[in-house]
Amino acid sequence: MLSLFLPLFLILLLVGLPVFFGLIAAPAILLWLNGQERDIVLLYRNVYNGMDSFPLMAIPFFMLAGEVMNRSNITLRLVEFSQAMMGHLRGGLAHVNVLSSMLFAGLSGSAVADVSALGSMLIPAMEKQGYTRSFAAAITAASSIIGPIIPPSGIMIIYAYVMGESVAALFLAGIVPGILMGGGLMLMIHFLADRYNLPAATRRATWGERGNASLKAIWPLLTPVIIMGGILGGIFTPTEAAAVAVGYATLIGLFVMRTLRLSDLPDVLTRAGMTSAVVLLLVGAAMAFKTVASLSHTPELLASIILGLSDNPLILLFLINLLLFVVGMFLDAGPAIIILGPILGPIFTSLGVDSVHFAIIMAVNLTVGLLTPPMGLVLFVTSSVSGLRVETIARATLPFLAVEIFVIFLITYFPAISLTVPRFFGFVQ
Amino acid sequence: MGAVLGLTNRLGALNAALLTFGRRLGAGFVGLMVLIILLQVFFRYLLDSALAWPEEASRFLMMWMTGLMAPTAFRRGGFVSIGILTRLLPRVASAVLALFLLGLSLVVMIMGLRIGWSEVTGLGGRFTTDSLHYPTTFDFSTWAKVPKSWMMLSLVVGLVLLISVCVELMLRNLITLAGRQEQLLMIPEAAIGGAE
Repeated sequence: MLSLFLPLFLILLLVGLPVFFGLIAAPAILLWLNGQERDIVLLYRNVYNGMDSFPLMAIPFFMLAGEVMNRSNITLRLVEFSQAMMGHLRGGLAHVNVLSSMLFAGLSGSAVADVSALGSMLIPAMEKQGYTRSFAAAITAASSIIGPIIPPSGIMIIYAYVMGESVAALFLAGIVPGILMGGGLMLMIHFLADRYNLPAATRRATWGERGNASLKAIWPLLTPVIIMGGILGGIFTPTEAAAVAVGYATLIGLFVMRTLRLSDLPDVLTRAGMTSAVVLLLVGAAMAFKTVASLSHTPELLASIILGLSDNPLILLFLINLLLFVVGMFLDAGPAIIILGPILGPIFTSLGVDSVHFAIIMAVNLTVGLLTPPMGLVLFVTSSVSGLRVETIARATLPFLAVEIFVIFLITYFPAISLTVPRFFGFVQ
Repeated sequence: MGAVLGLTNRLGALNAALLTFGRRLGAGFVGLMVLIILLQVFFRYLLDSALAWPEEASRFLMMWMTGLMAPTAFRRGGFVSIGILTRLLPRVASAVLALFLLGLSLVVMIMGLRIGWSEVTGLGGRFTTDSLHYPTTFDFSTWAKVPKSWMMLSLVVGLVLLISVCVELMLRNLITLAGRQEQLLMIPEAAIGGAE
């Protein structure tokens, strides 16, 4: 009876019940029907204890760091730096867009923050230079996907917490896939240059200009160094590193760049707090859901179904990528990880897939789902930033989406892409 | 229907006031959490003398931040859901479905509140936190350990606020079904985003 909680949950989700309530209602209803009312109390305790976690505090802190950097106009410095480095290439501003996203990813770890910050600046600038607005919006949306892949990353923290993985290992495992994603998008821009008649190269920046732009961008560019250096050097825990990132961003915003005002802080704190509150509730509910999943032996049941399809892990990984892609079309990455991680993770690790490798496959695939209709969060935000219809942007992103799907399969079938860096630092055997 | 409309708008005004207070307090808690952890980093790594209370204090604040701020997100439509069906359906059918979903959410929250309150007032709530203290006299000469129930109350308060918001949203749906939605007070939309 209890194993029915998954189909019931899916039905509730599809009719539109918020994920948080669905995660609790589905198991609670079945526990009640099963006469296990006392176990519903355990469900409540799991939600509470799931939220009451020090490592989880990294989520509000990284969100806050991103908000502070956005408000401080640090993005402008990153764009100027990217412009000095890549602005002279054909399709220069498109390349600048991708490089800025990669750099921004090292600060905020959020695709939505990336689109909001870079899109409002780069889409009008690209249009002014002769790019179509749909192309500018498409490359902004596509490159923002790198945000949650290159560390720090909100969804990696969630995955690590829900699945008991090391945050540092997942952060490190995301570096090469993120760079690969950025490189792939730049290659696609290069190939599309003729077809879309992208603006020809502008003047190459002198080394003096590049040095000047680097100097201006040095403060924000040091953030990922502080975060990762602090975590890997054993100086900070990920939560402390996130708090240090907030403190650092606030200090440079207030006193170095002088672009942040004290009066901005209440709004910044409110935005970060509200978003985090929703994520924390979801994670708490996920912990309760995870307990019921293991009690009901659902992972074992699903494992036998999945293994009945094929015993070849390569084929199964292909199929699971298809499943994740479809799920990503309907659900945001965070909730999808919360729901599917505890169910799929154990199946694939038992098949010999490294748990960090599987985490990256899931995280990257579901993050790309932010770009796919009908429920693509990044598409919605890009639409509101650019003023274009979601369908128009979705169509324009297709060449870039193809690159990202290709990268997903590279990551899937070449584990070294995600495992080499964490292995180098001793997080993976 | 006029009475329902009046009740809805009055409850809406009450919720708006309570949630504004909750948001402000929650925002303050976020700032405090950062300061506390930075203080811990300073003491642990620069003075080589870690403090005992920052971790628990910041968790205490995080739980309260969640309880106080999540209801605003719920009221503004910030709880993640797949809204395709409600968008595809005609207005009346969509409002009926929304009413059903809110009703189900309300049942979950009432059940949670019942359990939550028994947890706060039960055995678990009588334990104390490991490192948090509060003064029991005005001259700060005697201190007592903070009971766990103070922290557990965060989720209960959150549920009370969520229930109040849920009832308001259900009433708003009834008004929408009656075709008088233009007479409802405006609720600002949540900024889009999550951990992504």
